[in-house]
Amino acid sequence: MKKIFFIITMAFVVLASSCSKDLNQVPISSGTTETFYKTPSDFIQGINAVYNGLRGATNSPGYPDRLLNLSEIRSDNIYGVSVTVRDWDPINNFSPGIAANTYVEEAWSTDFNGIFRANTLLDQLKKNGANVNSTALATRLQAEASFLRAFFYFDLIRYYGKLPIIDHPVTAPEAVAIPLSAVTDVYKFIITDLQYAIANLPTSYTGVDIGRATKYAAEATLALVYMTRSGPTYNIEGPGLALNEWSMALPLLQDIITNGGFVFNPNYANIFSYSNQSPSAAGNKEAIFDVMYISGASPALGATYVWGLAPNTYFTSLNIPNSNGSLEIIPVSSNLINSYEPGDLRKAATVYTAGYTTAAGTETRPFFKKYLDVTKAPAASRFDWGENFIAIRYTDILMLKAECILHGTPGTQIDVDGIVNQVRNRAGLTPLANVTLAQLFDERRKEFADEGSRWFDLQRSGNLITIMNNWINSEDTQKRINAVTANYIIYPVPQTQLDAAPGLYKQNTGY
Amino acid sequence: MKKYIILLLTTSLAYSVSMFAQDHPIKGQILDDSTGQGLPNVSITIPGTDKGSNTDETGHFSMLVPESSLKKQFRISSVGYATQMVALRPDVIIRLKKETKTLDDVIVIGYGAQKKKNITGAVSSFDARKLEERPIARVDQALVGQLAGVTVKQTTGIPGKAFSIQVRGTGSISGGNEPLYVIDGFPLSVNSSNTGNGTFTTGNPLDNINPNDIESIEVLKDAAAAAIYGSRASNGVVLITTKRGQTGKAKISFNVYGGYNQASKKLKMLDGNQWIDRATEMINAAYVLKYGAAGATANDDDATRRTKIGLTGTQINTAYMLDPRWAMPGHPGLAYHDWQDVIERKGQMQNYELSASGGTDAVRYYIAGNYANQDGFVTGVGYKSYSARANVEVNLSKKIKLGLNVAPTYSVTQDPGVEGKDNIFHQALSMTPVQEDTVGNLPNIGKNAQYAWSNTTNAPLGKLLNNIGTTKRFRTLATVFGDVEIIKGLNLRSSVNFDNTDNAASTYVPYITTGTQASRTFTGSNNLLSATSGTYNSYRRQTFVNENTLTYNKVFNKIHSLNVLIGQSYNLDRLDRTQLSSSGGYTSSVIQTLNAAAAVTGNTQSNQSVLLSYFSRLQYGFKDKYLLSASLRSDGSSRFGANNQYGVFPSASLGWRIIEENFMKHITVLSDLKLRVSYGVNGNNNLPNDYASIATLGSAGYVLGATPAAVIGQAPNVLANPSLQWEKSQTWDGGFDFGFLNNRITGSFDYYNKLNTKLLLNVQVPEVTGFQTYLNNIGSVRNIGEELELTTRNMVGKFQWTTTINVSHNTNKIVSLAPGQTQIIVPNGFEVADQILRVGQPLNSIYVVKQIGFLTQDDITKKVATYGSGETVGDPKYLDLNGDGVITEADKQIVGHPNPDYTYGITNTFRYKGFDLNILVQGQSGGSIYSLLGRAITRTGQGFTDNAPEAYTQRWKSPTDQGAGRFSKAYSTFGFVANTDWLYSSDYIRVRDITLGYNLKNIFKTPVINGARIYFTLENFFGHDKYYNGLNPESANTTVSSNSSYPEAGDYGGLPLAKSLIIGLNITF
Repeated sequence: MKKIFFIITMAFVVLASSCSKDLNQVPISSGTTETFYKTPSDFIQGINAVYNGLRGATNSPGYPDRLLNLSEIRSDNIYGVSVTVRDWDPINNFSPGIAANTYVEEAWSTDFNGIFRANTLLDQLKKNGANVNSTALATRLQAEASFLRAFFYFDLIRYYGKLPIIDHPVTAPEAVAIPLSAVTDVYKFIITDLQYAIANLPTSYTGVDIGRATKYAAEATLALVYMTRSGPTYNIEGPGLALNEWSMALPLLQDIITNGGFVFNPNYANIFSYSNQSPSAAGNKEAIFDVMYISGASPALGATYVWGLAPNTYFTSLNIPNSNGSLEIIPVSSNLINSYEPGDLRKAATVYTAGYTTAAGTETRPFFKKYLDVTKAPAASRFDWGENFIAIRYTDILMLKAECILHGTPGTQIDVDGIVNQVRNRAGLTPLANVTLAQLFDERRKEFADEGSRWFDLQRSGNLITIMNNWINSEDTQKRINAVTANYIIYPVPQTQLDAAPGLYKQNTGY
Repeated sequence: MKKYIILLLTTSLAYSVSMFAQDHPIKGQILDDSTGQGLPNVSITIPGTDKGSNTDETGHFSMLVPESSLKKQFRISSVGYATQMVALRPDVIIRLKKETKTLDDVIVIGYGAQKKKNITGAVSSFDARKLEERPIARVDQALVGQLAGVTVKQTTGIPGKAFSIQVRGTGSISGGNEPLYVIDGFPLSVNSSNTGNGTFTTGNPLDNINPNDIESIEVLKDAAAAAIYGSRASNGVVLITTKRGQTGKAKISFNVYGGYNQASKKLKMLDGNQWIDRATEMINAAYVLKYGAAGATANDDDATRRTKIGLTGTQINTAYMLDPRWAMPGHPGLAYHDWQDVIERKGQMQNYELSASGGTDAVRYYIAGNYANQDGFVTGVGYKSYSARANVEVNLSKKIKLGLNVAPTYSVTQDPGVEGKDNIFHQALSMTPVQEDTVGNLPNIGKNAQYAWSNTTNAPLGKLLNNIGTTKRFRTLATVFGDVEIIKGLNLRSSVNFDNTDNAASTYVPYITTGTQASRTFTGSNNLLSATSGTYNSYRRQTFVNENTLTYNKVFNKIHSLNVLIGQSYNLDRLDRTQLSSSGGYTSSVIQTLNAAAAVTGNTQSNQSVLLSYFSRLQYGFKDKYLLSASLRSDGSSRFGANNQYGVFPSASLGWRIIEENFMKHITVLSDLKLRVSYGVNGNNNLPNDYASIATLGSAGYVLGATPAAVIGQAPNVLANPSLQWEKSQTWDGGFDFGFLNNRITGSFDYYNKLNTKLLLNVQVPEVTGFQTYLNNIGSVRNIGEELELTTRNMVGKFQWTTTINVSHNTNKIVSLAPGQTQIIVPNGFEVADQILRVGQPLNSIYVVKQIGFLTQDDITKKVATYGSGETVGDPKYLDLNGDGVITEADKQIVGHPNPDYTYGITNTFRYKGFDLNILVQGQSGGSIYSLLGRAITRTGQGFTDNAPEAYTQRWKSPTDQGAGRFSKAYSTFGFVANTDWLYSSDYIRVRDITLGYNLKNIFKTPVINGARIYFTLENFFGHDKYYNGLNPESANTTVSSNSSYPEAGDYGGLPLAKSLIIGLNITF
């Protein structure tokens, strides 16, 4: 009897004391930040997920779509007044009430998710970097993550100005205590990341790693950061700081040109061909950094930006299933159409002007088609186009160099004219002499139309407000577009963010 | 009577023979006062001694009584009967009265038992022994209409499937509202996280539990009673006690019943002629609308129509042309069907149960086996179960007791997919009632074509006959426990419990029941089977629980009674799932298993959680007059975030038995009065999954490489919330128990106010975290209600009549959501959002546009608000709530709420001589149904092929013939908006059960048979509901919400309840 009592009592005591560690259960069928990051492959999967932030979630817009929605549509390249009120309307017509607009929300959301992923990997490299088993690989991963974090931040700063700075994964309670930082501080953070990336990224990759960020991608981004900071302030807390850092940009651009091994593609249309893919010496030699897509993967890894500015009815007219295309046509502005000189080969490669007919009638307004090859329409899903997006293009590097020279950095007018005429020659146009900044920006407009560069070019040129308002006066026959003020150079802080932590962020002026 | 005298003689004889012994032999018989039958297993004891005896199966007993005790009072007691103290004399015959002083009943509470009169919390008790007297297939079915505050919803008409139970309303938005079930002290895994479609995809705790094995069911309703179960008690706790043996001779019981069941309700749809009338009207309207400009009129013949449409020869266009046979007398070549009649039948039911119980001082046992076979009232639907149970208790010594309960069960459910959207029953309602007469009941099945004017549905009967949906479930519940009395009054109880369910569900859909005739080729190509599909999904659910408790029970100075409990519990739940499905069809038309699939895709998943608990309770009574109970539980759960791994759940309750006070002595009308008040804090640990607080990783791939190819990426896909914790409920309960007129009237009344806080909601968070929302504990809901339970013994004596009534009233209201948030429109998977969570309104309020009549020409002229641009005269007129001139989502308003305000159950029991009659009436009122089935069969813009309810004959036909005012004109082109058209009251009243029994003991006069009763039962034979275009107001079978955080289950073709006629026999040996 006493024995039994003893045994039972002991059992009671042992059970009670030994089970509490069981409360720390880990998921059996999925990884966690605690259990993952044990082998080099885990870290590589971690960095891949940061690149995934460029393309956004499956079936959702990513970096290229965003350039079209927030830069191209915002600019004088698109006159997007629609019949039914569409999401792009208020972007195009400078409505002040766009804080809850889906495009405005998306940019903040996707980029900060990418930043979170970069921070997660950087955090894990700090904590468990030994598991990578290779200092070289660990350094490269850190440099890739730093580059991508800077890339996302630079994307954000051009759209929103002031931003919260996050250098590690933050919890919900932490997040509600991190305010917006001044633009200069955000830039400082970006530049530090990019400088680290330049110092530690390889100049090229081989095989399955082709497509990762190189030193030149980081140099290109940093050069554009300096040039953007050098743009005028317009007296807003936007991306321009009037810092006159052209001379800091030039050596970076020059290094890419001299050592990068990139080649000016003699055929404009081929730059965007579906057979001229990954950025490498053997692939698309004009591409310095791509957002990459393929069709037919599961889960899907295809693109949507391809048809973002092409109307759905166009695909209907061709009997292409899966309803590709925007819900209504988003027409290219007549101002852009008319700006093409006769014989400019880029016009046909960029804009569809031939019109098409469906049951609903004939549509003659032009739309952007630079990435569109209807023979490559994906069979299964309209979200699954297999065309890379060139995020940094070699021609742009050359033209940015010309821009720096025109701003007084070392170099000559001959260098500038040479660059611009190389571009014009490819477009089938006659050369110019004594190219001015204004001519350079006109050339950029046509060269980079449908690539999401226009709004930022306008911003950097210093003439954004004048050019936009002149364009509105001539183009907006329907009187649907509001006058552009400096406040509209950047977008409002998304409404969800204001709601998530009331009082934490101050809305940008003018919204 | 003759036998009675013989018995008497033998007893007196036996007495006289033994009268010279030193101990005096006493013999006698104990009879049931009302029936005069001998009562087995009655205990006869002499208080203060260890002497005693039990009666045999005929009620006889004999015992040796010491001289010294002869003058003493003997205690005669038996469960269910009032204990009597009598002076024994030789050949005594004692008539025991059925228990009336229910307050002396001991009822089970969490981790113990307590006299009902001393209970200070709100506990409803159900004496399940009555279940033997009535055919019941599931435990949840037994609870329907029995207990105040316990709402049992029979959400399906498929036999063997789980019901949904709610205790005191619903307080959680996304955490589930099903109670915790505890069987013989074994807390089963709570499983209500998948209520989004009203079904339990990974099992219900009551699956395969044989109701005949159950002794009693107690429901702990208020926080104080339930708080001993801490973080799982917020939705109430249902304690189930199974039968155990009593010391005495073996009692063998055999129960058998058989009968049939059929649909209790039929939804009358348009018959062939009525459908043709409507189809003609609609086709003509479509034709005139399309070709009216070209001079088309409804009277145009086929030739004219062909010309207008542009057809040649004998071409037809069913959208604009009529079948000429419709107008011919006798409609040659066409057959009319009532598809409900085609698929329904009388389903046979049978059940056999054999049990034996008994025991000695050393061992007590209850063993039982059960076989049940129930064919549903729909062809191809059925349920079979085989169950066994052994409950054994062994006294190793006077102080050590060991016990084993083990219950292995196996069940097979056949359901080829009858309920739910686009499933067989919905299709039977919607299917075109007119078909070619050459294909019998099987249009569009196999080689049969579909009728040109029919919808594309494959005949429901064909699916029932060929499609397979089988769920096989093997479940074993086992408990081993030991109980040691360490010193007098101090007991240590230790138990190890294990629940294992292996469930395998296989489905098979052959190509002959899918697609169109053209797609079903019967020539020898391999792709003929590409439309065949199959799945095999299995899960193993395991719960392991070890509990150890110490209880100390003592009465000090005869006035202070004390009961102290401390305990500890370890609980492990694990779920392993396998999901396999065919891909690309089958390679064989004979083999149904997946080895014949062209390819198989599959995966496995597992999850597990641990709950570690410490608990204590103090119960104190002063003179049984002033009662106090307080408990404290601490639950540590692996499901909670690291910052909140432990939760503490306190409670306290007070009772005052006023009846014991001196000043009550002269109030003779009152026989009992007790006041109770309690407060407690409980939790709901039903987080969306076992790892909700942890940052799990998800796939985030990218494309890289010289030849671009997919690369794997992994990144966190949720924002970790290490503070995530249980939902919290705080409940005040005040109530009183009363008895009048010597307890002829007894009952209790409770008022409760329950506030659920820290609700699990997805809350917006700054996206610098990487995410837009995360799961957090925020928001609150309040439930307030009253409950009345009343038992009146209207007539006593030879003719007995007892009435038991329970009524509950409950209202709930959302008190708050996330900061700054006033409402959440429940995202809807059917593009017609119809529920809203709005602060100040009941949970899941129905939120739609109001229909206010039909549009007149005057309305059209005045351009009243319409939905879309296609509305014309005779179409519905909707309320333009915001007055902006158009009907949009913004015109929606709250028009009802799904939970009923009142639920009630009334049981009348009559006994006269050998007859007993039991009638249970049950119902609810005040709630509403927003019916997806209503949308499916009565929506505007519906095509003519789909059938509509018969009430459509009373539709709007012209401005002068507006029918019954319920349905707008048949042909409309503006689509549909979620509106009050499909809103129904969920009120119903139902005669659940009428059982008439007769005691055959009066006929079988053999001593072998101890008791025999035959009964007839009518289940669900009578009733009325207001769900005019549906079958069962409580149906839930389809996921409505597109976000699992806001579960909303709807009815999209739920079967009616079965009504059954059953004859049964109970025999005890």
